[in-house]
Amino acid sequence: MDYTIETNGLSKFYGDVRAVDSVDLRVKQGEIYGFLGLNGAGKTTTIRALLGMIRPSEGNVKVLGQALGQGGRGPWARVGHLVEKPSAYPELSVRENLEVARRLQGMDKAKATSKVIERLGLAPYAERKAGTLSTGNLQRLGLARALLHDPQLLILDEPANGLDPAGVVEIRDLLRGLTHNQGTTVFMSSHILTEVDRLATRIGIIHQGRLIEELDADKLEQLRARHLTIKTRDLGAAIKALESAGYSTLSDYDDLIRLNDPRAVEAPDEVAEILVHAGAPPIHLAVEQENLEEHFLRLTNDTSLREVT
Amino acid sequence: MNNFSSALWAETLKMYRSKVPLFTALGFSVMPLVGGLFMIILKNPDAAQSMGLITTKAQLLAGTADWPAFFGFLAQAVAAGGMVLFAIITIWVFGREFSDHTVKELLALPTSREAIVTAKFIIIPIWSMIVTLLVFAVGIVVGILVVIPGWSEQLLITSFINILGSAALTIPLMSLVALLASAGRGYLPPFGWTIFTLAMANLAAILGWGDWFPWAVPALFSGAAGPRDELLGIHSYMVVILTSLIGLAATYWWWRNADQTR
Repeated sequence: MDYTIETNGLSKFYGDVRAVDSVDLRVKQGEIYGFLGLNGAGKTTTIRALLGMIRPSEGNVKVLGQALGQGGRGPWARVGHLVEKPSAYPELSVRENLEVARRLQGMDKAKATSKVIERLGLAPYAERKAGTLSTGNLQRLGLARALLHDPQLLILDEPANGLDPAGVVEIRDLLRGLTHNQGTTVFMSSHILTEVDRLATRIGIIHQGRLIEELDADKLEQLRARHLTIKTRDLGAAIKALESAGYSTLSDYDDLIRLNDPRAVEAPDEVAEILVHAGAPPIHLAVEQENLEEHFLRLTNDTSLREVT
Repeated sequence: MNNFSSALWAETLKMYRSKVPLFTALGFSVMPLVGGLFMIILKNPDAAQSMGLITTKAQLLAGTADWPAFFGFLAQAVAAGGMVLFAIITIWVFGREFSDHTVKELLALPTSREAIVTAKFIIIPIWSMIVTLLVFAVGIVVGILVVIPGWSEQLLITSFINILGSAALTIPLMSLVALLASAGRGYLPPFGWTIFTLAMANLAAILGWGDWFPWAVPALFSGAAGPRDELLGIHSYMVVILTSLIGLAATYWWWRNADQTR
């Protein structure tokens, strides 16, 4: 099968530091791939390797079915990118910056610049020098440059950076529309996990240079840990009753009890019955599922702990 | 070729919109003005001294108040000042991509990195030569205004060759400045290099090895230190060409192969 992005054993070493270590990525056409990782996990290094900006120490990279060649050669006419913080020539206007990008993309259609300016809501700033733009508008300019040539693949490093909440929603809808209507593939890194949670159809988690988890968003739904949260007016009596009923994992917080035991999650009614009999009836009883943030932190913490021990 | 013309268009627009060409032109134009001032001082030493102007310095640098001395001063100024001003142009053209973090927008494009580097290497000599011609033109105007003797068409042609030839020998040496602006990812390493080469060129010329030291060749060519046929040989031009080619090759190699993390 031809993947839009494929890496095999991709590694990048800086001396003894393994910035990226044997990463095997598979991104299918039309996917929105959320690439998650803590600061320094290897996200940007991976993205730079995907764009031929750095040479892998080991392994190889294929983009749109083409292996990246010498001098960073690749199918760049079909790829749009935004790497780290957006940059622009400060002395050029927004339109001129995009004109430079259009010509370097080898595009003849002069209208493409005006079109992308409208699409990204940059019309009021089109003639303004890029050096005077706010961070949010600079980010829009970076996204406009990435979208200018209607690429088949978008590689975006933190696309929501610097955008206000309305801008975040706008870009999310834009990206979703591109995948649905044009079959564009999006590979995006982000530290805003809720964004990835809402948008990504597949998620990869990189930690300390290694891809520690890669799964479909649907699968993630099933994998997320669930627990039963209980509130009661007599916390002590409730804990005692639950322990004597043999619930293995019991965590008490300030004013609530959290049971990770699968039995409790599967049959919260039995837990309620025990508490009622113990004279500590629940005033709140809910099966809760961890969000992506909790899942991510649990996963990266587990890996860090395994590294230590 | 189409990609190359796009790259050249982009470089031209960046140069046109920047204030750096204006500043370098203004900076370079100071030289003929200073030359003109020296001519005034040399013409009227008593008056200049009473106004507190230094006649000794003017005499040391220019000699007498006539066209040959004035053009000689300009050639000397272009040879020394050109090394710095052309370096500033080169450092801006290459180094700004790193200090403005715009280099990452130039790497994953259908336009090859080689085309982008070539466009930069074309815009630098064009810009440098325009500034040099400006100095020459301003020099003629200043000379006319100051009214000095010794003008001849032959002198004009010789001085034109001296000044532009000196600039033409300085510009190729900028390829190493371009390399350092790229590999050093900014302004300081290439600027340090420029000062270093300027100092070493002086030292080499004093020690009598200037004809073998590429950075001393433009000044020796300018005629400021004497007839160039006695000071330079074919080997002198060869070392300039060789140094330039090394710088060019290394810059292309670096843009093609080095990890780009800015």
